[in-house]
Amino acid sequence: MKHDEDWVIKAENVSYTYDGNDKKALDGLDMKIRRGAKVAFMGGNGSGKSTFFLCLNGIRRPDEGTIYIDGKPVEYTRKGLLDVRSRVGIVFQDPDDQLFSASVYEEISFGILNLGADEDTARKEVERVIEELEITPFQDRPAHALSGGQKKQVAIADILVMHPEVMILDEPDAALDPRHKRKVQEIVERLTEKGITVLMATHDIDHAYEWADEVVLMREGKVLRQGTPYEVCTDREALEKASLELPAVVRIYERLKEKGMLPEDTPLPDSMETLIDLL
Amino acid sequence: MLLIDKLSYQSKLRYVNASEKLVYALLTLVLCILSRSVKVAVLVFAVNGVLTVGKGGIPLFRYIKLLMIPLAFLAAGTAAVMINVSRTPMDAFALQAGEWYVTGSCEGIRRGLGLCVTALSAVSSLYFLSLNTVMTDILCACRKMHFPPLLMELMLLIYRFIFVLFETAFSITVSQQSRLGNRGFRTRIRSFGMMGASLFILALKRSAALYDAMESRCYDGSIRVLSREHPVKTAEIAAIVLYGAVLVLVWLLCG
Repeated sequence: MKHDEDWVIKAENVSYTYDGNDKKALDGLDMKIRRGAKVAFMGGNGSGKSTFFLCLNGIRRPDEGTIYIDGKPVEYTRKGLLDVRSRVGIVFQDPDDQLFSASVYEEISFGILNLGADEDTARKEVERVIEELEITPFQDRPAHALSGGQKKQVAIADILVMHPEVMILDEPDAALDPRHKRKVQEIVERLTEKGITVLMATHDIDHAYEWADEVVLMREGKVLRQGTPYEVCTDREALEKASLELPAVVRIYERLKEKGMLPEDTPLPDSMETLIDLL
Repeated sequence: MLLIDKLSYQSKLRYVNASEKLVYALLTLVLCILSRSVKVAVLVFAVNGVLTVGKGGIPLFRYIKLLMIPLAFLAAGTAAVMINVSRTPMDAFALQAGEWYVTGSCEGIRRGLGLCVTALSAVSSLYFLSLNTVMTDILCACRKMHFPPLLMELMLLIYRFIFVLFETAFSITVSQQSRLGNRGFRTRIRSFGMMGASLFILALKRSAALYDAMESRCYDGSIRVLSREHPVKTAEIAAIVLYGAVLVLVWLLCG
């Protein structure tokens, strides 16, 4: 084992089967995540992304294999789970599955109170997060009167208030309009600046390519391919297996080179912006 | 119910301390019912109207419409007190039908009207609370008064998910209508039944997902939350005490 890398998450040979299913949702999965990384998880529905996320949080206990958080194997005791859940937070895909209180303030206070904070600290933290995530304009509205994007902001605040080391976002931009999508992306960007490791499930390969430090392709409960966006997003074979297409930037770049419109030695641009600047 | 919810979020009295409003509503309600005095009831009814419409800014026609709902039940109830069927006519009125009379006594009419006014002003107290206080604030006030925690948690969840359930039911109904699910009476009944069945399954799924989400935030079996505090104002407390004293005086001296 190498000691020079700081792995915040490590999964070894993790398998999980849902009750009453023959097929394994996770099938001998191995993975390592570097601290502070931005990791995009990609793969079709049923590829095991969400199940893996629930395992990382101790909600599902793997039938086989071990998950290490901060180098320590997850302990399935009350104390152990509390520890894991205070380090790893999940923002669920559908905010209506997550927001349990009609009041935004109550909703956000739940997590930090569960961590054992006293009332004064909890209040301060809740108010700080409300301000930080720009929830103030709608903080007094009931959950049922919030838009999808606003609910998502509250859902992120729910977790952020607990100061996690790892934040998991399960398809955060599903069903959001472009404006709120951008807003969520900005928030995610800020999380990374704070040093929080962000794992994000997404179906948008263009976004994954530009945003992530690392891309994980999943298929049938296994990691199909893991690497830098350059490595994964140019691996046609792996992408095809995961039913994904090449990112637009990569396709345009390759075509331009073929046509001789870009010099042979041009490196692969890291975003659409860079590509446009090249032209 | 959804209307009351909407109005409560717009009320100008929304940010008045919820415990104060709860105490005010319960105090007037109890005094109305205990005293059975028409004068107390009329006073309570009038003050509630002024507070809800004048101070709270609830539109008058909405308020009147809402008061009409219990009025229908009250009318049916008091009619039973005021109108009798007997062989002998009574002093207020009597309509002969063969050997029988549909009749009523002055005493009965007085009692019936008194009952009606008392009930209506009791309802107006509850309306004052629910039109000017957001549900989550009422729950928070109840928690402070040490209502059973289990009940409070259930109400918190029910209040949140009743809207999710309505939304789901609405979107299922729309999708059924877009496929002619309400063509005739029979199809409409069938569609409604299927909607109910799928709603039940969706609710189960949702509750499982919710439980996971709560567990991931270290849920340990009891829901602890903080609410935003709206400070208690001494002047308001004094006003409530004074008002209560006036009501008791009216009851004892004139009732």
